[in-house]
Amino acid sequence: MTQLFTRRDFLKITGATATAVAAGGLLPASVAKAARDAGLIDPNGDGYIPSLCEMCVWRCGLLAKVRNGRVVKLEGNPDNPHSTGKLCARGQSGLMNTYDPDRVLYPLIRVGPRGGGQFRRATWEEALDLVAQNMLAIKEKHGAEAMIFSSTHNLSQVQFENLLNGYGSPNYGTQRSLCFNAMVVAFSLTYGVEEPSRDYTNVKYVILVGRNLMEAISTSETRQLTAAVARGAKLIVLDPRFTKTAAKATEWIPIRPGTDAAFLLAMINVIATEKLGDCDFVSRYVNGCQELPQVMAEYTPEWAESKCGVPADTIRRIAREFAADRPDAMIHPGWRTSNFINSFQTERAIATLNAVVGNVLTSNGCLVALNPEASGVKLGKPPQPAYPRVTALRLDGVPWKYPLVPLKLGIFQNIRDAILTGQPYQARGWFIARQNPMLSLPDRRKTAEAFGKLDFIVDVDIIMNDTAWYADVVLPEASYLERYDPLNALAGKIWLRQPVIEPQGEAKSALWIYKQLGERLGLGDYFQYADEEDYLRQQLAPTGITLDELKLRGWADPPKEEKVEEDLKFNTASGKIEVYSQTLANAGFSGWPAWEEPPAPAADQFYLLTGKVGQHTQMGTQNNKLLNQVFKFQGLWMHPSEAAKRGINQNDKIRVKSEVGEVVTTAYVTQAIRPDCVYLTPGFGHLSKGLRVAYGNGASDSDLHVTYTDPISGGQALSQTFVTVEKA
Amino acid sequence: MATNTKKRYGFVIDVSRCIDCRACLVSCKVENSVPEDHTRIWVRDLGVEGEFPNLKQTFVPYNCMHCEEPPCVDVCTSGATYKDPENGLIQIDQEACIGCGLCLPACPYNVRYLNPETGKADKCNGCIQRVEQGLQPACVQTCVGDARTFGDLNDLNSDVSIALKNAKSVQRLATDDVDTGPNIYYINGDVMQASLLPREPSYASAETFWRKVAVPAVVAGVGLSFLGQAVFFAKQLVDGEKDFEE
Repeated sequence: MTQLFTRRDFLKITGATATAVAAGGLLPASVAKAARDAGLIDPNGDGYIPSLCEMCVWRCGLLAKVRNGRVVKLEGNPDNPHSTGKLCARGQSGLMNTYDPDRVLYPLIRVGPRGGGQFRRATWEEALDLVAQNMLAIKEKHGAEAMIFSSTHNLSQVQFENLLNGYGSPNYGTQRSLCFNAMVVAFSLTYGVEEPSRDYTNVKYVILVGRNLMEAISTSETRQLTAAVARGAKLIVLDPRFTKTAAKATEWIPIRPGTDAAFLLAMINVIATEKLGDCDFVSRYVNGCQELPQVMAEYTPEWAESKCGVPADTIRRIAREFAADRPDAMIHPGWRTSNFINSFQTERAIATLNAVVGNVLTSNGCLVALNPEASGVKLGKPPQPAYPRVTALRLDGVPWKYPLVPLKLGIFQNIRDAILTGQPYQARGWFIARQNPMLSLPDRRKTAEAFGKLDFIVDVDIIMNDTAWYADVVLPEASYLERYDPLNALAGKIWLRQPVIEPQGEAKSALWIYKQLGERLGLGDYFQYADEEDYLRQQLAPTGITLDELKLRGWADPPKEEKVEEDLKFNTASGKIEVYSQTLANAGFSGWPAWEEPPAPAADQFYLLTGKVGQHTQMGTQNNKLLNQVFKFQGLWMHPSEAAKRGINQNDKIRVKSEVGEVVTTAYVTQAIRPDCVYLTPGFGHLSKGLRVAYGNGASDSDLHVTYTDPISGGQALSQTFVTVEKA
Repeated sequence: MATNTKKRYGFVIDVSRCIDCRACLVSCKVENSVPEDHTRIWVRDLGVEGEFPNLKQTFVPYNCMHCEEPPCVDVCTSGATYKDPENGLIQIDQEACIGCGLCLPACPYNVRYLNPETGKADKCNGCIQRVEQGLQPACVQTCVGDARTFGDLNDLNSDVSIALKNAKSVQRLATDDVDTGPNIYYINGDVMQASLLPREPSYASAETFWRKVAVPAVVAGVGLSFLGQAVFFAKQLVDGEKDFEE
């Protein structure tokens, strides 16, 4: 046994407290009612309450240790397949997210100029009335489409979508085009699944193409990879930066940015021409493979070397090693993959490589063409009427300009141009929840200008982040440790996020906020639940599981539909893996994975790389005091040779310029980056003075990023900005 | 003064599995209410070594070594720092500590700090409050890479003993000159680097000892009922002398 804190220990602890409650002790009033009712808290107010983390989107199971109505420690829930008993640094710091002294605890209404940071405290009644009034006025005068809605992946998104669909706007912005559009569109077209699941059980050979799993941590997957490497699996990392993943790799290949597709296409060339693939699998399940030797003929390793700078022999060797270890080999599909305008082709090449050697969904293949979140669990939901018919064009150009981008992904970064040009019509208002577009979108100046053109902005958040700072109304949401969310289905089980403490101040759950707003907008029929617990009971109804038993353990095992084992069929037009895609060809793009030449920086410029660190999540955690102590903003990474040319020493003040803006920061001179690249950790450089830890700390790459949209997937090319660097 | 304790609690750290995620740092901080800008544990990053593109980087989890022959115990005249005879962990009796700070330079690994909130010395206690409940130390419990293990090195079936038995390599941070019997065993990676190795323990000179410890100790010896005043007095003595310490 590798961990002492097992499920058994947890049951021992909670079992004891449950007995104490049954004995009928008096409970302190400050303790969360739900926890009391479930018997998780003893008469002294002590106990462990199971719930789900929300410090990133991985939703690890947690056990919150509470004492007298306060969270004092968080542990990973050993039952949960995403936490496997562990929480990362961000998960461990989650109580500081809740107890952040900069929490917004009351509804706020702006009183000074927009962005001036002057707000007054309002009642929920007044704030909600004001939001509804503005939204109704916009709808009446300009149509529902004049209202933009945006939110980032979360469990209450289903009710957020109810709000926007019931209201009748087609304009829905998510974080997805800043993240994984390239992967999702490519794998949907090739395998018929948005994101194939990974299985590390038997893996012997892993290639990561910019996927920095040791820093962009998804606890369970990071652990599976670490375990695989520890037992001897080879790890090949393609990244222009020597990341912590590269530090753990068997081989680090500092590839030229934007040229991963050349490397991968040449791998296909080697495998196809040397016939190293799995012929049986290919002939039965893969469409277009027989033509690959001809189609890929031009993509020789020597050709690729001229593009990506990796020696032809290295590419040839890796292709052979990868094929030799099939089906226990994997090229990871990637995650935040929209780096270059050709990233879609990179993803298509990854999908193709895994298919031609038979890694996909064979008896012990490493990739499974099933969405990792597919659970087979049937949940109920409150009844609701059909949505009104929407005829207006979407402001982001999907699908009328971008036919292959799924509606639910959208192209977030394109919305601002529509606001600024008033084309195809003028947007008037923006409802933002749990998102920080002011910092996350490229070209912050453009975002600020677009905000300036709107009549009304409302933001739902737990702290005064940069977007809230520019909003007209800020609605305070309860933190993930203070509220219920709709159920999460994972690995065939149902997982509950429940309050482990009472909400502070007047913070409220998203389920409550959207319902209140819906009722004021005349959309009450889309919110047919009395409260959060009623919502959950309606979800649980078909399963026969009670909310009380779910609260006690944090998860439940519902009956599932028996799956009949059939021969493999992929959810594509042909039912096979589509290495050749007629859909792409019909839309006027290459039906085969193909090389698209990316732009390159001028002689005096650098590629500006983006990336992740293990101690922060996107733009949302920089105000967390605990995390701020374990990660200090590093400044701009640059190679010593390039620094020396410019007379730049470690920690010197420097000016970084792109075609859309500039920042002044400090130099972090390191061998760990290609000489033609620089790197800035995203998420720093907050503008909001309502964030006392994050404000004024570091610089933001959103001041530098140029907006480039991939015409196929709609992904923002986040590493395609070129900058100059000089001493400041 | 090697002691034979009943159990011998210690850490076995698999260097190859540490990914420097720092979950352990946050977990320890919360569990033990460590004040801002102080820490009981570290992940020592040896920096990027080599020339581009032939680079390597090693991450070394680090905390109190719970030594067999702890110099910190030797210098502690108030008797606050002691080696637990039951399990071998080095502990600080917070009631007894007078905050003189002599144990800080005495530790060859620099793992001690003076807690500004309590005025007492503080360091890793092996999360004994958790271990007694059958839980793992906070850092071990949440270690994402499974680099950290903790347990009884005397028990052949413990996690730590099994990890040691299966290790490809085993190192302890000790030198020919300084070997205090550290109870952290590093496996599967090279940690014998100058920046990590122990330095000579720095013992107080007779003069410092007199000023910082002997006088406060005599004062403290007046009686337990006056302990509060004694500590206050001792601190004044120490603080009052600060200007002359150079």
